[in-house]
Amino acid sequence: MTALHGITIVEIAERPAGEYTGKLLADFGAEVIKVERPGGAPTRHMGPFREGESALFAYLNTNKKSVVLDLADAGDRATFEKLLSRAHGMIDDHDENWGRARKLSPAEIAASHPQLIHCVITPFGQGAPPEWQKARPINVINAGGWAYHSPSETTPDKPPLKGAGRFLPDYEAGIDATMAMLSSLYRQRRTNQGQFVDISEVEVQLNRIDCVLDRMLAGDVEPSDERTAYDMGGPGTSFACKDGHIYIFMTTKGHWNALRELMGDPEWAKAFREDWLEFDCTNANVAEFRKHFTDWILRQEKMPITEAAQKAGIAMVPVNTAADLPNHEQFIHRGFFQEAEHPVFGKVSYPTASYKMSATPVRVTSPAPTLGAHDSELGDA
Amino acid sequence: MTQPAANMRGPGGPLSGVRVLEITKVWAGPYAGKMLAHLGAEVIKVESATNLDEMRAYGGVDINSAPYFVSINQEILSVQVNMKTEEGLDLVKQMVAQSDIVIDNIRPGAMERSYLGYEDLKKIKPDIIQCSIKMWGNEGPLGYQTGYAPCFASLSGLTALVGQEGETPKGMNIRYGDSSSGACAALACIAALHHRERTGEGQFIDLSAVESMTSLVGDSLFSHSVTGEVPVSDGNFHPEMCPHGAYPCQLTGWISIAVANEKEWRALCEVLAAEDLASNPRFASMELRLENRHALDQAIGELTAEQDAADLAEQLRHAGVPAFKSMSSIDLCSDAYLWGREAYRMVTDHKNGTRPIIGPSWRISPDGPKVERGAPLLGEHNDYVYREILGLPQERLDDLIARKIVD
Repeated sequence: MTALHGITIVEIAERPAGEYTGKLLADFGAEVIKVERPGGAPTRHMGPFREGESALFAYLNTNKKSVVLDLADAGDRATFEKLLSRAHGMIDDHDENWGRARKLSPAEIAASHPQLIHCVITPFGQGAPPEWQKARPINVINAGGWAYHSPSETTPDKPPLKGAGRFLPDYEAGIDATMAMLSSLYRQRRTNQGQFVDISEVEVQLNRIDCVLDRMLAGDVEPSDERTAYDMGGPGTSFACKDGHIYIFMTTKGHWNALRELMGDPEWAKAFREDWLEFDCTNANVAEFRKHFTDWILRQEKMPITEAAQKAGIAMVPVNTAADLPNHEQFIHRGFFQEAEHPVFGKVSYPTASYKMSATPVRVTSPAPTLGAHDSELGDA
Repeated sequence: MTQPAANMRGPGGPLSGVRVLEITKVWAGPYAGKMLAHLGAEVIKVESATNLDEMRAYGGVDINSAPYFVSINQEILSVQVNMKTEEGLDLVKQMVAQSDIVIDNIRPGAMERSYLGYEDLKKIKPDIIQCSIKMWGNEGPLGYQTGYAPCFASLSGLTALVGQEGETPKGMNIRYGDSSSGACAALACIAALHHRERTGEGQFIDLSAVESMTSLVGDSLFSHSVTGEVPVSDGNFHPEMCPHGAYPCQLTGWISIAVANEKEWRALCEVLAAEDLASNPRFASMELRLENRHALDQAIGELTAEQDAADLAEQLRHAGVPAFKSMSSIDLCSDAYLWGREAYRMVTDHKNGTRPIIGPSWRISPDGPKVERGAPLLGEHNDYVYREILGLPQERLDDLIARKIVD
């Protein structure tokens, strides 16, 4: 049983933002028909590759169908319109000029397919200057503020960072786009009416930092050009250990006492007040703590020491890598990774979703489609 | 059954008519509630003066205008009830009977101990959708552990991918994680509404905050499974674009630039008046630029260093090169485009009249959701919940207040 059984979505998106939105919907069980240009979606040509096949495309397009249509060709366009007339929703992530040139603007879609939920994801939302629209993920995450403030404690001489992987702002936007589309589709069930959903990737980032940035907007705290403006202070950060990295977060006397004990109550720790984390957490003390802790933790192995720390009530955890996760007991228990056969790659491990749903679990039931694999179904469109 | 007609949230917004009860604290849980409220659901936060959301205490003494709390909880209703009393728990169960969705992010096991686990709730309302947000999910060998956002980011595989090249991976900003996990929870709740609408069946959603972070690096993990290569933190490296990075500008400014082809490369060199870079054989193709990217980044940084980040970005964009200033908090707060698009908007505030807040990332039309009301006072909607939804007589409510069941 799937959550979105019976819902049909047409995806004309060609970037990870829109394709991830389509993936989330397809993994919930919607029929997502990916409309690809002749030659295939651009993400088919993005690495990494194995045997000529894109792993990125294979990840972003699980559970979807693929049809090839040239939207500039009159015959194909007529087929596309028929597809839309039986669809519940459409996902796009192109800029406004692209849509206008193809008669796919919000107003045109609302007029020709009033029942349709039409979602467009763009870096800055509808109405941005045309030259802003060509923004890549690194531009978007810099425009949205997360890059300038990541990592915490970055010094002014180090560059802002793009985030994890290549597409973090795309995936965050995909979550909001899916949420808004699903809400609108829920309304559609009751009213049979379509809506236009305009998603701004930058505004997703602003919303995610609401309780930090809004306090600045409202004047509770001064905004600034400090790289540390989103930080919260304290000694929490990651450290190199013998076989990788760990992260430690401490805020209380309890944390400190437990850590001292774990470290064997070293001499240097006696210079700190027992409650320094709460009442004497100065930059100097943080620096002094880190100096000594760095030496100690470098001699520890990440799994045994973090397990011992957890048992002692210290929020010290391993910085897990891609290699650690598939063997991790909690990930295995929850079945987060799903083994499946891929026609080109063979046995692969798909990351699934963070929500375990008792009645409608998220599963990969079909691998990303080959180009035009479902063209033959277009006759029924 | 839920009575949409009595719904205080009123019409407007695609989730209009959906009622959500949240037993949440701090950030991830309240953020999930906010997402649903900003899509039109009526979201009721169960609170108690003796067991406050810490966010009502941070940054001030007045629990009704605490900055952290009011910056998250717009369009949320507040009802007071002391869940440490049996009578209080019974009232919560009566609220559950009138709700569509129940969300919690309190300590592992706490809901079950209060007889508010899914099996209990199902007896009260067979088609209830319950979503539990925990660091590791609701059960399993590590299900007992709790933690803070930077811990779940570290455990998730995400932190390992963020850092300056060759340095200890420091991860995203320490604040990253709670809100994204809350968004994933809200997403699953709405998917579950669809299933309920079609089949009449509710369900339990067991959300792991760690896995929410993991899902945001899904393509990297999948690629590892396909190619066997373990991804590492890589600064601003991109295997298919170069230059691709953030470059220093005047004062504290930085500019992000991403070049994907030769046309963009030539345009970049032209705007930077860098004939020597354009003609340098070490940078003559994407392949060569990637090979010599550290030297190239250095050279570009020298050319951008004396320029204004916003002006240079605008010149580059007009020349067809994707570029944007790296926005600081003061840049974001004072940005005319964002204000003009209502990325920030005013809501009513009980103390000062109005307060600017960060609006949702969506605009939905026609009949989009309204975001107009600020965060609730503690117990602001006691009358609505007890009198109108539960239908209690006034004397009964007065008595509950007098005996601090409603506190």
